[in-house]
Amino acid sequence: MSHQPVAIVGIGQTHHKRKRADVSMAGLVREAAQRALDDANMDWGDIDAVVLGKAPDFFEGVMKPEMYLADALGAVNKPMFRVHTAGSVGGSTGIVGSHLVSSGRHKRVLSIAFEKQSEGNAQFALGGGKGASIGAGGAFAPFIRAYIQRSGAPEDIGWMVAVKDRLNGAKNPYAHLKLADITIDKVKESPMMWDPLRFLESCPSSDGACAVIFTDEDGGKAASKPPAWVLATAMKSEPGWYSGRDAVNPQAAHACAQEIYKTVGITNPREQIDCAELYVPFSWYEPMWLEAHEIAAPGEGWKMTQSGATALDGDFPVNMSGGVLSSNPIGASGLLRFAEAALQVRGLAEDHQVGGAKLAIAQAYGANAQFFAMWAVGSSLNPLG
Amino acid sequence: MADTVQEFVFNLTFPFSRTLGSTLSTFSSALAQGQIIGVRTGGRVIAPPLEYDPDTAADSGTDWVCVGPKGTVSSWTWVPEPTNLHPLDHAFGFAFITLDGADTPMIHVVDAGSESAMSAGMRVEARFKDPADCVGRIDDIIAFVPASDPSPSEGAGEPFEAPAENEITEMDAFCDLQYVDNASPTTLMWAKALMEGRLIGQKCPQCARTIVGPRGMCSVCAIELDESHIVEVPGRGVVSNFTVVTPTPYPGQTETEPFARCSILLDGADAVIAQQEILEVPVSELRVGIHVEVVWAPENERSAADIDNRSRGSGGDIIVGWRTTGEPDEPADRYLDRMM
Repeated sequence: MSHQPVAIVGIGQTHHKRKRADVSMAGLVREAAQRALDDANMDWGDIDAVVLGKAPDFFEGVMKPEMYLADALGAVNKPMFRVHTAGSVGGSTGIVGSHLVSSGRHKRVLSIAFEKQSEGNAQFALGGGKGASIGAGGAFAPFIRAYIQRSGAPEDIGWMVAVKDRLNGAKNPYAHLKLADITIDKVKESPMMWDPLRFLESCPSSDGACAVIFTDEDGGKAASKPPAWVLATAMKSEPGWYSGRDAVNPQAAHACAQEIYKTVGITNPREQIDCAELYVPFSWYEPMWLEAHEIAAPGEGWKMTQSGATALDGDFPVNMSGGVLSSNPIGASGLLRFAEAALQVRGLAEDHQVGGAKLAIAQAYGANAQFFAMWAVGSSLNPLG
Repeated sequence: MADTVQEFVFNLTFPFSRTLGSTLSTFSSALAQGQIIGVRTGGRVIAPPLEYDPDTAADSGTDWVCVGPKGTVSSWTWVPEPTNLHPLDHAFGFAFITLDGADTPMIHVVDAGSESAMSAGMRVEARFKDPADCVGRIDDIIAFVPASDPSPSEGAGEPFEAPAENEITEMDAFCDLQYVDNASPTTLMWAKALMEGRLIGQKCPQCARTIVGPRGMCSVCAIELDESHIVEVPGRGVVSNFTVVTPTPYPGQTETEPFARCSILLDGADAVIAQQEILEVPVSELRVGIHVEVVWAPENERSAADIDNRSRGSGGDIIVGWRTTGEPDEPADRYLDRMM
């Protein structure tokens, strides 16, 4: 299968907040899209196709919002696609957009993902509209308990991730939470929400959107700002529940990572990748995903956190943007990871920039840790030389 | 199996809310005062206003224009037998109405008495609710009615000066939905077994995994499972993992105190039943490795009404919970990985 090179030339996001009371749903997505258009030095008329992603419609109670948002996103007389893969949807939305260019079908594609959590209630929606919803934290807590036991990690690893991501978020002007004064003690003393997860180890509930504009090789080379190049994409799924399933170490995560590394020619992820945005809505997912995506050996992920390797000034920075722990407009959360990886290799991440980043990965997961999306982006088409 | 439901009716209610953004806030706030407005953009007046030009996606700006209250019907359909979800309780028309001063039609209700009174080109005018009842919703206009005087609306097309701050910035969007789901064959098997005080699963002939709460398929091997694959599983096991949830408040939340849901690895079955409640053990003392046994509701109190297609191993009201057997705990590390 031959693919055209794909460049990312526009990235935009909203200021994420618990409640964006100042905008409608259309206004929210348009705010992110307009910033991406400005970044790409484009106008609405330059876009050939639009891809829209968000998590379950039940979260806001607007069914099929792509119908209502088509003209708000300039999709009149153009193809419009709706993507949904639960929490990984933002990543999938970016990947689908990039494929529309890599296939040669379209020259300029806008991918946009959003959630306006304040209009509904995710706990209610995840509980199927009934009481006693266990929510996402309740679903993942047993996986985390199993990881802690299996890896022998000390209990403060989760607290360290919670502090590190919030300190990064404090450097990101768009982040929902900017907790510059967070400490290990504050995390450890925060209320237990889903044993063993504490309140400050959990993601916030946010309104927000993220937009990414893709174009072809000519467009990338002609861009006024440095582009990011999409080097590889992967999406994998597996059943959410079967007897004996190992949700700590999902096969789909390994399969995504292996495909990405093979395509890019990465043989030593820890050495060759400059930084990563991983979908960490609950603190312990940092070491879990470092292992499941083969960046750390089994049982060794927490040591990267503990040693400071994943801090902004470490040798393998993770979640430079502040991650899902700092902003969680659910449907957009995956695309925010993917966009941050691109910002890093473009050298445009400002206060949360990793110096000289040439190769970055981003990952998102969804539902019962069963849908996975991942990409690698580079400052050039061949950043490994 | 008179007690086994064949279908379930589900009522979904939730008070969703919408933030309007500046354009719709301006529209709603004016509407609550009895004034309908549009926005001039791209050389035409769009009413009700949109925050973007639907043709180009450009921002439509704030060049507000007074429109209506009279307008002209361009197309319509008749609703002879309204349901309780319709805006009027008697026959009416839905119509595209281009308000005086506007260039685009809006959809609304025409209360014309009879279908024969409807026509394309008919002049109509807005009938508002009592001003005290107007909240800025589109149904502040109860309906359009045939205009008593077909002459143009006074003031239509004039600029509208928006207040510095709009009064209405949010709106409730209450959801009240009822739907009916038919019980699947495996749901009926599960409910029947529970009513008889038995736990069952389906064992895949290919991978030998047992799924407690039969699902009609093996999701690993992707093969269909039927009645011949049903196996009995024991009502005893060991807690293999659990979650303690601190409930957050939301409309419809039934819990106020931390509650636990457990996975239980059933004795000798290599199968896990998930999302179970342990009785008489405070959540702070819950741990992996406890031996438990199922507690059934008394036979005359069992009802399968709560067993639906999404139950997947939930015992509804038939399983009261699981109680400890008093046997010494098993080592946690032998069980923790069996989340599922």
